[in-house]
Amino acid sequence: MSALYQLKDIGRRYGTRPVLDIDSLQLQAGRLYTLTGANGSGKTTLLQILAFLQPPNSGNLIFRGLPVTWSRGVLRQLRREVTLLHQSPYLFATSVYANVTFGLRSRGIRGEKLRRAAMAALETCGLSGFEGRSARELSGGEAQRVAMARALALQPAVLLLDEPLANVDSETSSLLLQVIRSLPKAGTSVIMTTHDPRHQSDLNSITIHLENGCVVSNATSSHSGIL
Amino acid sequence: MEFLFESLRTALTLILALDFDVVDAVGTSLKVSIWSVILAATVGIPFGVAVAVNEFRGKRILITLINTLMALPTVVVGLVVYGFLSRQGPLGELSLLFSPAAMIIGQTVLALPIVVHYSLGAVRGADARILPTARTLGAGPLRCLIRLVLDVRFGIVAAVIAAFGRVVAEVGVAMMLGGNIRGYTRSMTTAIALETSKGEFAFGLALGIFLMAVALFINILFNVMQER
Ligand SMILES: Nc1ncnc2c1ncn2[C@@H]1O[C@H](COP(=O)(O)OP(=O)(O)O)[C@@H](O)[C@H]1O
Ligand SMILES: [Mg+2]
Repeated sequence: MSALYQLKDIGRRYGTRPVLDIDSLQLQAGRLYTLTGANGSGKTTLLQILAFLQPPNSGNLIFRGLPVTWSRGVLRQLRREVTLLHQSPYLFATSVYANVTFGLRSRGIRGEKLRRAAMAALETCGLSGFEGRSARELSGGEAQRVAMARALALQPAVLLLDEPLANVDSETSSLLLQVIRSLPKAGTSVIMTTHDPRHQSDLNSITIHLENGCVVSNATSSHSGIL
Repeated sequence: MEFLFESLRTALTLILALDFDVVDAVGTSLKVSIWSVILAATVGIPFGVAVAVNEFRGKRILITLINTLMALPTVVVGLVVYGFLSRQGPLGELSLLFSPAAMIIGQTVLALPIVVHYSLGAVRGADARILPTARTLGAGPLRCLIRLVLDVRFGIVAAVIAAFGRVVAEVGVAMMLGGNIRGYTRSMTTAIALETSKGEFAFGLALGIFLMAVALFINILFNVMQER
């Protein structure tokens, strides 16, 4: 089995300033990774690249053994496998239900199958009964859960989470932690950024630490001991 | 003063009695304006969105050009379209001059830059997260764009309303291309401009009141949409 992601000499600049410079990094399928590092260390930039939303300026990204070419048709296929939940996610100006079904509709899923997938995702995120609500009239925690449900409904192979637990109430935080923890067993690999060291041990995750765009350590959290 | 009050009374009587000439001019105005705006929106909204989301050489110049076209004097548009539609013009064969169709063509030209300008502005002011969000959820290019337009729908509706406001109140194109033919191409504005001088002041006033009401309604609607 080839690795889920292989990064080789991945570089990303903004203007002339390098913000990401990763010699080599391998991420395996079925795992839960936490990505840590100070503000501006390049976590969001790395997730954008892993989500195939933004190409690196240099280097090779290999996904499931195949080099990513960044051509339109290929990207569209890849993005159906990998979903990014943005930091302060955007909800479309429509109902909660239309938000949660958006990605499913993009995949041509309709009818009862669509409804069931959406309802299951809403329930997982503690949002049963929210489907008719306007996505613009939710609390911060509710909005974050809708964004999570919208991603979960797709059952992606990889879920990338950018600070999913920042700025949410403690109830939402523990609900989301529980959902995230269960994902690898359900077939979804997870890579999430976080500021809170407690999440790493809570999630029994493998930590990747970034400093100024470089990977400085790549280890299982001390708490769990094994890979 | 006596004259003004007397005329106002007559004007209101004309409106309340649904005077044929008043109703006809209002109907022609609305019909021509609505068709122009539909045509301008059909072309202008996709064009404005396309300009907004694509980066290409000359984009800045194009946007400046669109903004300049917004301020085109109506008589100049009337003049140019007249040139095309007149007997010896390239489209003279169609015999469209002095018909509602000619007015619609001229007003579409007037409305188009307005629709493009405001839809472009609505999309450029849209939340930068909309497209990446749609993409990461697996949507193709068309679905992404449709979602973007839907999320700025109030700005797009405002674009259409602004264009309607401009064409319903203009007189140059309607006069030069329509010709103020009673029961055919006589609109609110051409009637006011041309009949008043023939001593039909109260009639002009009746249409003026109607036009003001339409303008007021449009402005309120525009502001509501822009604030959403
Ligand atoms: N669109 C952008 N334009 C210019 N600089 C950017 C842009 N996005 C991020 N940066 C810069 O890149 C660096 C890394 O940012 P980011 O990946 O967001 O870090 P993190 O998520 O770890 O806080 C920061 O210094 C940030 O200012
Ligand atoms: Mg970040």
